[in-house]
Amino acid sequence: MSQATKTAGVVPGRAAARAGRLRRRGPGRRGYLVGALCVALCTVMLLPLLASVLASVKPTEEAAATPPTYLPHAVSLDSYERLWHYQQGLLTYLFNSFGTAMLTIAFTLLLTVPAAYALARFRVPAKEFVFVILLLALIVPYQALLTPMFLTFAKVGLTNSLVGLAIVHTAIQLPFSVYVLRNSFAAVPRELEEAAVVDGANSYQALRKVFLPAAFPAVVTVALFAFIMSWNEFLGALVMMSKGSKFTLPLVLAAARTETSLGGTDWGMLQAGITISIVPCVAVYLLLQRYYVSGLMSGAVK
Amino acid sequence: MRTRSWRAVLATATAMVLLGACSSDDDQTANESIVPATTSCAGTGDLTMWERSGGNKQMVDMLVAAWNTKNPTCKINLTYIPHTEMVGKIAQGIASGEVPDLLGMDLIYAPQFSKAQQLVDLTDRVRDWPELKTASKGHMTVATYENRLYGVPLYADVSALFYNKDLFTRAGLDPAKPPTSLAELRTYADKITALGGDVKGYYLPGNCAGCNIFTVGPLMWASGAKIEATGPSDEPLTGEGVKQVLQFTRDMVKAGNVHQGDRAENGETFHLQFGSGKVGMMGTGNFNITLARQQNPKMKFGIALLPGAAPNSSASFIGGDLVVVPKGSKRVADAVNFMKFLLSDEVQVDVYAKALNLTTREDMVDNKYFAAEPLVRDVAKALTVGKTPYTTTFFEQINSPQGPWLQMLQRAYYTDDNLDTVIADAKKAMKDVASQG
Amino acid sequence: MYRGWRRRWLGLLYLSPALLFVFAFTVWPLLQMAWMSLHNWSLISPPTWVGLDNYTRALHDRQFWVSFGFTLKYTLIITPILIIGGYLLALLTSGGSRLRRVTRTVLFTPVVIGLGVSSLLWYWLFSTDFGLVNAALRDLGVIAEPIVWLGVDADRSNLAIIASVVWKVIGFGMVLFIGAIQAIPTEVTEASVVDGAGFWQRVTRIILPLTLRTVLLVTLLSVVGSLLAFDQFYIMTAGQPQNQTSTSVFFVYLNSFPYLKLGYGAALSMILALTILAFTVVQLLLTRRSHA
Repeated sequence: MSQATKTAGVVPGRAAARAGRLRRRGPGRRGYLVGALCVALCTVMLLPLLASVLASVKPTEEAAATPPTYLPHAVSLDSYERLWHYQQGLLTYLFNSFGTAMLTIAFTLLLTVPAAYALARFRVPAKEFVFVILLLALIVPYQALLTPMFLTFAKVGLTNSLVGLAIVHTAIQLPFSVYVLRNSFAAVPRELEEAAVVDGANSYQALRKVFLPAAFPAVVTVALFAFIMSWNEFLGALVMMSKGSKFTLPLVLAAARTETSLGGTDWGMLQAGITISIVPCVAVYLLLQRYYVSGLMSGAVK
Repeated sequence: MRTRSWRAVLATATAMVLLGACSSDDDQTANESIVPATTSCAGTGDLTMWERSGGNKQMVDMLVAAWNTKNPTCKINLTYIPHTEMVGKIAQGIASGEVPDLLGMDLIYAPQFSKAQQLVDLTDRVRDWPELKTASKGHMTVATYENRLYGVPLYADVSALFYNKDLFTRAGLDPAKPPTSLAELRTYADKITALGGDVKGYYLPGNCAGCNIFTVGPLMWASGAKIEATGPSDEPLTGEGVKQVLQFTRDMVKAGNVHQGDRAENGETFHLQFGSGKVGMMGTGNFNITLARQQNPKMKFGIALLPGAAPNSSASFIGGDLVVVPKGSKRVADAVNFMKFLLSDEVQVDVYAKALNLTTREDMVDNKYFAAEPLVRDVAKALTVGKTPYTTTFFEQINSPQGPWLQMLQRAYYTDDNLDTVIADAKKAMKDVASQG
Repeated sequence: MYRGWRRRWLGLLYLSPALLFVFAFTVWPLLQMAWMSLHNWSLISPPTWVGLDNYTRALHDRQFWVSFGFTLKYTLIITPILIIGGYLLALLTSGGSRLRRVTRTVLFTPVVIGLGVSSLLWYWLFSTDFGLVNAALRDLGVIAEPIVWLGVDADRSNLAIIASVVWKVIGFGMVLFIGAIQAIPTEVTEASVVDGAGFWQRVTRIILPLTLRTVLLVTLLSVVGSLLAFDQFYIMTAGQPQNQTSTSVFFVYLNSFPYLKLGYGAALSMILALTILAFTVVQLLLTRRSHA
């Protein structure tokens, strides 16, 4: 099967064929049906997100109303204010979440780029063994590994630290990242690499000048997935952090569920928290979209 | 990791034997004489404190704020931990040595942690405190293990029967005469449900283990039954009262005396139910007084004790939190000072009573704030007939959403399974849990 | 240039940071966990050796089988939806037109928010009294009384959770399928059109067989992910009612954290991991055969 990895911009064969058929028939029911379907799907996908954002700007009583209103009758930033002032303050939590995510990206890239390079292009001894180890990491529920990790981290002072949590997140992301990057590096045409070698590049320079640019979409994909995973991860953060000043955003969201006195849900604050959690992920995705999607496609199709 | 725990326990045991003292704080010198506690901070530097979420957050915030105002160089940094994770978090903290200086803990877990020697023994430090003689019985019982004391009350909740006087009048019942037995409760509920509309006579939370032990447990206690297995080889769920109450609740549900939606109540909206004005009578806690007033200012309601099968029998669940000191804490003396602060006359009146929360000392019930609030006085009566379950496996036996207590109740309320089988199954499961505890 | 022992050791050098990391932070905790599984370990009391007791206890533990059965049920329902649905969506949006590209982008958007956040969002939407699903159904006249979606009936909870996970995850499979579909050389599809093949014939005779490898890969990822499902159940039902919606990993979590039975939780994890390993091996063997 062909190794076409950059077909994202090219009009694929099937669409051309169908366009041909449509031309013969004229814009028929088919075209409208497809169009309607697309619009319907988009609506279904976006509606929940929109609902959450709208709910987050309802005044507190309306947010807790039953039955609920669809559109806010009044716009208010009450819920955001409560979130802002929640215990150590939203800024602290955002800083912790963001910091951990950035560290996770850094660790992940620093480890997986060379590793993927090695697995794609070098005859590493005991390669199967390495794959088995990586596979293992993928199928063991990481929730069970948290306690032994926590006890070890406590001894070396890595608890209550963003670095410690980033290490946990990196460990979770590593197998998937190595897999995607490895496939992407393996798909880089040998001629490019040989050309660099002929020009006198050593393996490191080949990596920097040939592979990374060629597999850039996959690198962006790995970074993006690492960010999203770390930004949203809950249980590891709960186990590793016991100082309020080190809590991350997901922990605050969990708290919003029992926030009103005696354990009731603060729906408005929950929606505000959900909205704030979603915004960076969607923003980064939209900005880096063309890398992300093609990176995934290239990383998975061998 | 394994050797470390062994060594810690061995070291502590040795220290205890050699010193003959019961202080298990590794960081203080063996011969330190215990300075009498005061209501102010003795050391310097902030204290760290954990407290579970989903409790009486307002109360705890007020108490911490009061301490911080009095001791600005020794502030308490409070962190709220999601309450479902609290037990795990405390255990991890202790195992890793990263513990807060003091801890607010759901009182029901104290036996488990004191048994495991994970709390600092405070007996010698609080010896002869007059305040403790009148402190909440339920709290003091669970804070005691093998005659040593490990904590003092932080705040108290009691359960009682709230009843809607407006609905009573509409149903032709005397609003000054709440039911005094299960049979009366049933009759009154029938009459109120007959009013129709969206009104029902009673309330049963269908998916919340804690709500049920808080409000249905006392019905069993009042009927002479025992619920929890206190330890291995102890028999749980004994007494005719268990079956009587299960039958009572099943009949209530079948008679249509509870709303359909009650079945999904998992505790998150429990405290909002009575204030809706749609429930005639409901077991709930003292916290519901202010809440109901805020929700429904015009509603007239009264408070009675939760009844049992026999006329004029009653019981209540004393819940709330304790302040304890985890093993490994570096500020034991100041933690104890905080405890004395909590139990002091001024704090009892000017912080607890002023906020219309129960005072944790029975002798402080007569104060100016309560005098203006007959309802609070009524609910404080529940302290006298109240109990707190004592077991080292409370969470798994009773409070767990996946545990045998809730399963038994759900089968009684919503199925037709034979009640003897239901009780027998729950007994077996609870015994299994207790035998491992 | 590509051979030689020097190159092999250079490769090992590049690999070593990741390898060391995995050893330190995955393999070592795994070994610790295996060690813990042979003990009764409560964190607050000294651990006691019990050998393989935890394992035999697991096999006789009713809840273990209930959880495993429920996890299988969840996996068996959600996987076909994700694969078939994802594939159909891929067929729909793999074209080049603007509308299709926009649809592709929108369909992928839920993938980039977290599973925890998505679960909280749907927990709200499915809430009996506060959620929009019941409000909409009532306003449309479909139901008269609010439906209790979560926490009371295991099957209904399962369906609600599956709906939320499908919403979130289907875009991921879709994108992988689009990649595979677009990798088919245009000559092949154009030739089939010339031969008079209709749309569905093209799909079943040409596109599907040529993308089979990706389909199996996505199936594998989906099955493993579903067998390891935790977040959505922790947030939306907490295993209710009566632990009937408690998945295998949720049961592991219960034992490892609130119950403080870490040894037992560790044993359960080992059993689960071995089971998934077996599933994975079987699926990989199937993949290898189809690749021939």
